[in-house]
Amino acid sequence: MLECEGIDVFYDDLQALWGVSLSVEAGEIVALIGSNGAGKTTILRTIAGLSKPAKGDIKFDGVSLSKKPAYDIVDLGIALVPEGRKLFGSMTVLENLELGAFTGRARGEKNATMKWVYEVFPLLEERRNQTAVTLSGGQQQMLAIGRALMSQPKLLLLDEPSLGLAPLVVQMIFDVIEQINQRGVSVLLVEQNAHAALERAARAYVVENGRVVGHDTGQNMLRHEHVKSAYLGGV
Amino acid sequence: MSFNRKLLATAALIVILAILPLVVGRDDIINLMFMMFLSVTLAQSWNILGGYAGQVNLGHAAFFGVGTLVARYLWFSGTPIYVAMLVAGLVAVIFALIIGMPTFRLRGAYFAIGTLGVAETVRITVGNVLPIVTALPSNFIVNYDLNLRYYAALVLAVLTVLVTYWLVNSRTGLGIVAVREDEDAGEASGVSALKHKLIALAVSSFFAGVAGGLFAFYHVSYYYQFPFAPNWTFDALMITYIGGVGTLIGPVVGAFFYVTVREWLAVSIVDAHLFVFGAIFICVVLLLPGGLVEAWTKMQRVRLLSRLLRPTPPVKSVVKGRGEQT
Repeated sequence: MLECEGIDVFYDDLQALWGVSLSVEAGEIVALIGSNGAGKTTILRTIAGLSKPAKGDIKFDGVSLSKKPAYDIVDLGIALVPEGRKLFGSMTVLENLELGAFTGRARGEKNATMKWVYEVFPLLEERRNQTAVTLSGGQQQMLAIGRALMSQPKLLLLDEPSLGLAPLVVQMIFDVIEQINQRGVSVLLVEQNAHAALERAARAYVVENGRVVGHDTGQNMLRHEHVKSAYLGGV
Repeated sequence: MSFNRKLLATAALIVILAILPLVVGRDDIINLMFMMFLSVTLAQSWNILGGYAGQVNLGHAAFFGVGTLVARYLWFSGTPIYVAMLVAGLVAVIFALIIGMPTFRLRGAYFAIGTLGVAETVRITVGNVLPIVTALPSNFIVNYDLNLRYYAALVLAVLTVLVTYWLVNSRTGLGIVAVREDEDAGEASGVSALKHKLIALAVSSFFAGVAGGLFAFYHVSYYYQFPFAPNWTFDALMITYIGGVGTLIGPVVGAFFYVTVREWLAVSIVDAHLFVFGAIFICVVLLLPGGLVEAWTKMQRVRLLSRLLRPTPPVKSVVKGRGEQT
């Protein structure tokens, strides 16, 4: 479904990614693990079209993404839940969700999708006329995911969805991710909470210093010596 | 206030303004009101790009100036003035889009400085190429009708506010505000940032250009470069911020406040009034980022709170007909 083939990405003169290759198959949850600054966020930003690869190509259902602007990539079915949520702060919950369904394909289905989002996050319906800045961290994360779902994605890119949230909320967010996945949406998940991510992921990639240095099933990763010592706190 | 009551209040205000010239026989008041309407148009058009799209444009005077040039030329060559004003707006849009394409590559402060640079270049060029005064031909002066200018300005101000209302409540308007809130998140949601900035710029410059046409229609004589002066930009900007940036009513309230206080201060303390406005502007930005509109809503909230905190009056004292008798 998604294929990254040897992509190099630069921020001005600074190279962030070196020949990154990875794939996500339809219906899979795939995790990216690695330390801060390893390049995980850059990988997601590049797939979403917010950064452009200098070398290599990204294909989604056979279509090359590397020349497409971000706003066209959403319409193809890739939605990004950015790190730090990046909501439209002064807008209401409802307006944020409406913006999620901004593209042509999703707009026609807006009401049906919104019903589903409200089923997944009933709280968002209660708070629909509140501005996004007035929500708590967990609620904001729900809204960020809800906004991404409004675009009817086939592939959901999640960047640190558990960042800064209380343990109970983290559990809830992970449950929701599984629930979304069961609806047939593929998920590419970047997560500091490597343990929680690997438990749910079919496969995982280890990213270090801008390169993919390891690749295995989620279960094998949990037992892998290097992964255990570096990302699972040695347990 | 509910939507219907707002609509009613707005309609009442427009009716009062429409009959004002018929009851007030003083040209100075009509001239002052004209300046207010022109300021509403300039500030609201600035607000579309600066307030809703979040692109602080310091070159607004250039669009206004281009409008005056085009309208004055067409009008003097025999084109009906309203057609000339419309064309002035369209030429301003073309001019703005040519400037907008490269300057929108700049973000934040760089965009502000870039637009100021372009506008100043245009002003100096106009000053060098046309270093003269433009004056109405004598037959135009004989038929000069101030009330006609007043109504043209009123209609333009109302139109500008209406179009802004319609734009910001449309799907495109949602995209425009999304770009302001977070450009990356907007793009990732399917909003083309460049396209939406250009739409905001086009609408903004159109009304600035038509306002330039109105200026050309109104003034008997002025230096060609006068409407290109940066104070037209900064007036619009200050009015918007004092009234409430990114709100529909802000530029309207701001214009009435600004023009009234400016005229009053200009009489009492002459040129020093510029210092006063500098101080007011700094105070608003620091203490009241939402401007007069925010001050009003805060006051309403305090009043509501004090009403809630007041002990409930005995049932007998409740005024009849309010539906509160229990």
